[in-house]
This record gives sequence, C-alpha cells and structure tokens, in this order.
Amino acid sequence: MSRLLFALALATLAAPAQDPRGIIEEVQKRSRSTSQRYEGTLRVINARGRVTGKRWRYDRLGSHGSSKAVLRFLDPAEVRGVALLVLNHPQRSSDQWMWTPALQRERRIAFQDRRTRFFGTDFSFEDLEERDVDQYDLRLDGQEALGGVPCWRIEARPKQSKVSQYDRSLLWVRKDHYVYWRIENYSRGSLLRRATYSDIENVQGIWTARTIQMADLRQDSRTLLKLEKLEYNLPLKDESFTLQALRVE
Amino acid sequence: MWNRHSCLSWNRHSCLFLLLVLAWPGLSQSFSQRGFFESRFIGYPQTAPGDSGRAVASGLLRYEAAWKPLSNWRFAGSLDARTDTHRQVERAWGLSWQDRDIRRPAFAVRRLSATYRRGPVTFELGKQFIRWGKTDLLNPTDRFAPRDYLEVVDNDFLGVTAARLTLERGGDTLDLVFQPRFTPSRLPLLNQRWVALPDVPIRDAGAHYPGRAQYGARWNHIGSGFEYSFSFFDGFNHLPLLEPRVELTPLRVHLTRQYSRMRMYGADAALPLKWLTLKAETAWFTSSTPRADEYLLYVIQLERQSGEWFLVGGYAGEAVTAARRRFDFSPDRGLARAFLAHAGYTIDPHRSLALEAAVRHNGDGAWVRFEFSHALTARWRAIASFSLIRGAADDFFGQYRRNSHAALTFRYSF
Repeated sequence: MSRLLFALALATLAAPAQDPRGIIEEVQKRSRSTSQRYEGTLRVINARGRVTGKRWRYDRLGSHGSSKAVLRFLDPAEVRGVALLVLNHPQRSSDQWMWTPALQRERRIAFQDRRTRFFGTDFSFEDLEERDVDQYDLRLDGQEALGGVPCWRIEARPKQSKVSQYDRSLLWVRKDHYVYWRIENYSRGSLLRRATYSDIENVQGIWTARTIQMADLRQDSRTLLKLEKLEYNLPLKDESFTLQALRVE
Repeated sequence: MWNRHSCLSWNRHSCLFLLLVLAWPGLSQSFSQRGFFESRFIGYPQTAPGDSGRAVASGLLRYEAAWKPLSNWRFAGSLDARTDTHRQVERAWGLSWQDRDIRRPAFAVRRLSATYRRGPVTFELGKQFIRWGKTDLLNPTDRFAPRDYLEVVDNDFLGVTAARLTLERGGDTLDLVFQPRFTPSRLPLLNQRWVALPDVPIRDAGAHYPGRAQYGARWNHIGSGFEYSFSFFDGFNHLPLLEPRVELTPLRVHLTRQYSRMRMYGADAALPLKWLTLKAETAWFTSSTPRADEYLLYVIQLERQSGEWFLVGGYAGEAVTAARRRFDFSPDRGLARAFLAHAGYTIDPHRSLALEAAVRHNGDGAWVRFEFSHALTARWRAIASFSLIRGAADDFFGQYRRNSHAALTFRYSF
C-alpha cells in the first residue's frame, strides 16, 4: 500500500543497510507483489470538522516503475463508477485518464495537473502515481523513534528531469519491518502534505499499514484511508488496465 | 408521423430483457446500480414569441444498473422517468426505446446493451452511448452522439442502437461502429420559446427518417505522452434540414424535417505540454444531399488544471466548402466561429463554481453560464445556475436572446 503514496520504483541493487538507496530498495523488495487489490474506505475531514465518506476499489498489476493501476469509486452515489487509469513508466511521468460515467467518455489528465486534489480527498493526483528511484536523489537525514518505533529518516529530492509539485520529501522507514511510517512532502520550504501510517499487519507475507492519514497542511484538512479486503498476488489480467476496461468494467 | 408509443412488439422483448437485467441482483455479486432523482426549476425573466411561460418545473428519475454474470459478459441498462409543467415531456405512459418522439418521453430506455470482452476484443450490442473526440467544448467527430436540444443550451445525449466492435493492441485502438437504425437529435418544440421562427402559425409536418444504416471507424493511437486519432463516418446528420411548405389560406407554414446524407473525415489529438495541454479536433463533412452544405469544423483548445482551478479556452472555427443550405437547425455549427471557454473552481470538497462561455468572434452573439454546486449531504446536492444569452437576431446565440434564465436544481443520488 505504501505504493499508493510514495512507491519509489527501485531497481534491486545490493547496498549497505545504512545507505538510503539500499534502505528504500529493501522497502521495495519486501513489499514487492505481482498485483494488489483493496477497497479503500475514506473519511475526509475538513477544517471545520465536517466529515465526508468515500469508498474506492484499487487494482494494481505489476510492480514499481512499469505498473498499471485502476482506481474506481464505489461511493458516494454521485461519483460511483468514476475511474482513474494510471500507466506508470520507469523513465517518464505516468499517463492518466479519468472515466466519467455521466459523460460516457474518458479524459486525459495532463501531468501539469497532478497537484490537484483527487476528488475532494487530501491525496493529489501525483500522490497516486508510482515514481522511479532514478528520478530522485536520496540522502540519509538521520534516525529517530517515531511513536516509539525506531526509524530511518531519508530525504528525497526530485532530479531536474522529474516534474513534481514537491521539491523535497522526508521519508520515515521503520527499522523493524522496512515499511514507511511517515512521509512529509515539501514545496519551497513549506510542508504541504503529511502521510502517517498505522495499523501495520502482515498480509500474505507483506508488512502493510492498513490505515493511512493524509493531511493537507494548507487546507487544514485530512483524509483517513483504511485498506479493506486487501489481497496481494491476485491473477489480474492485463486487459483490465486499458481505456476499454475503464469503459466496460 | 411521430412515433409516440414506440414500445413496439420487438421492444416489448427488450423491455422484458431490461426488467430481467434490472431484477437480477440477487443472483450475482457483480451487480451494481445507481441513480438519482432531480427536480429542476427554471425562471425566465422575459417572455418569448409564442411562449408566455416564465417558470418551468421538471422532475427526472434516472436508474442505472449493470450486471456481470460472467467475467466476459456485462449487461447494462438505464431507465428515465420524467415529468414537467411545460409539456416538454410526453403525457402518454408508453415506454420509449427509439428516442424519435418530439417531446421527451415520460418513460424511456436510456441504455440497454450487452458487452462481450475477451482479450483485446470488446463487442457491445444494443442501445448505448458512443463518444468520439478529445476536445471538451465542441466535438465535430462525435457523430454517434445525438442530443436532446429541447432547451438548446442545456442539452443531454441520447443513446443510439448500434453494434460496436473495439480492438486494442498496445497503444492502438480500432473502433468500428454499425448503427442500423437512425436516432435524430431532439429539436426544440415549435410552440415554445427555444424555437426562433417567424411569428406565423407553424405546423409540424413530421420527419423523413433515413432507412439506411450508418457506420464509422476510428483509430486511436496513444504515444509517449501524446495521443491522436483518425475517424471516418458514413451516414446521416442527426440535425435536420427544415423544409417549409407555406399554406396561404389560412396562413400557415408546414415544416418537415429531413436528415441529409453525411460523410465525415475527422482527426483529433491531445498533446500535454509543460504548462498547458493542447487539444485539437477537426472534421470535414461532405454530403450527396443537394440542400446540405459541405464544410469543415475545427476546435483548438488549451487547458490547464492548476490547484483547484480547471481552465479551458479555445476557438471553434468553420470553413464552408460548398454552400447550399437554406434552412436548418445546427447548434454545432452555431457554436463555430466563436471563442469558447470553460472554467471550474473547487472551493472545497462540497462546493464548486463553474463558468462556460461562447462569444462570437465578431461580437454578434454570446452565451455565458455560471453555476454554483453545493453538496448538502452525502446524497443531496443543490445546483444554482444562470445563463445569459445576448446577440443579434440573425446570430445563433442572439436568436435566443429572450431566453436568459436562472435555474435551481436539487438532486438526490442513490
């Protein structure tokens, strides 16, 4: 699930444990699966405390830089059936299309659009795509216990070729299970979004945070995402990740 | 001439099939449904020739269901039930399939189709929606998408009965469509405000519907960060030529609708750039009908989504290659030779603003629509809008200059 927020698609290179690239590679190695499916239950809480519920189904085929994903809304009723197709590429930004049942057509989303909030949640479109480790410079920023859990703190900066709304991210990686425990995304020195992970469980041999809270610091709002019916390594078909599949599934 | 009760014997089977599809949820986990009930109130500050009504209320119940009994098969159905205060909706209780009624049917099968999908092949048969093109403001290549133009500027798509075969391979998609039965766009009612005709009694003398089938093909290619397509259509214009016949005693005009032959050669493209996305779409229309023009429509638009803003601006142009027409209804060409814009702003997850505008390049006409949408609860939404229409009497927008209006819509989604 960590892919949903900041799945750095890493090549598997041997590296010492204290090397930031080696740590992230170990995170990826331990979370690698051929496919993933879950139902996400979301609670969006705005600055005034008003709560909105949403639910989506997420399917992913492949892993890391060349994966494909479809996210389809199940609730609320007025957005049911709205779907997003994401085709990740290792060397360039992903292609994304949105299918809107009311219009009966898909619409290409351009990469300059991806800082937009995704359907009123605190996730941006960019937060939903995978990224290639080669597009980031990584640096070990320190070690600290977060909520009593020992973590490495790693700084990731996009390389010049990478188009991103964030110019810097801080990643906290748990030392015990090599999973993300917190991610902070910055732009021009300001913290824009903070993802906090909790409810870690071993699902089919993969340690996974079942709850993610994404906070938008500018809007003072947050989205709580719970992963339900989570499965890895399902026999998903390639044909389910095309524009036609968006239309007819 | 008007087929008011179009649930014919063949359609009874369709209706039975639809009921089976919609009533089957208990037998399968792969059943999904949704819908909404919408009530809409429109106020017109001005009366119009032949229509003194200033307030219109309408209600629409739409139910959509999809059932996937096997991994390769999917059945989809959609029903509309509606009524209104302005006789734009038929009062008869028949279930309409064909969408050839001059009024909106009280009950209509909006969609009913079966889809088979295996590997790169998708085949859909039945009443369905087929949308072509990439631009947002006007789609010249969207030839299998007739619309309900009863209120010209607030229109909705009509489904078509067709067979559609789609083949996908890598980034290439080939779409083949065969439509055996013609579905026209629904025109404004002659005795109401959205018809701008001379102030003489006009009688609807019906329509001559084409008997021949239509077909089309579209090839779409998705490249590295861009996509484009080429399309071809052979069939009929779903917007009619109007054939008047004048009766002198008493003075009365009989108006017949005729649908001209049409062949379309189209192309569209989307190119995301660093700061903007460029989208373009064009189509050249030829016709063997002596009274129909031959012309080229094109749209160029730039769009950008920046934070919570969504901005689209562009120009729709037209070049007439053979001028023949005398009298027709063609809102697609009415939108041409104009600057078009669409802007949206998401205030928060519950509220949004939108603006749509079309301004004639020579300033002769303009249409602007503002909209505020507010989700009151998880299921209830209120939408307030205001449409301003101005222009000269001989301009497409200007002919509706007395039809500026405000609307309030309440929608309950389920």
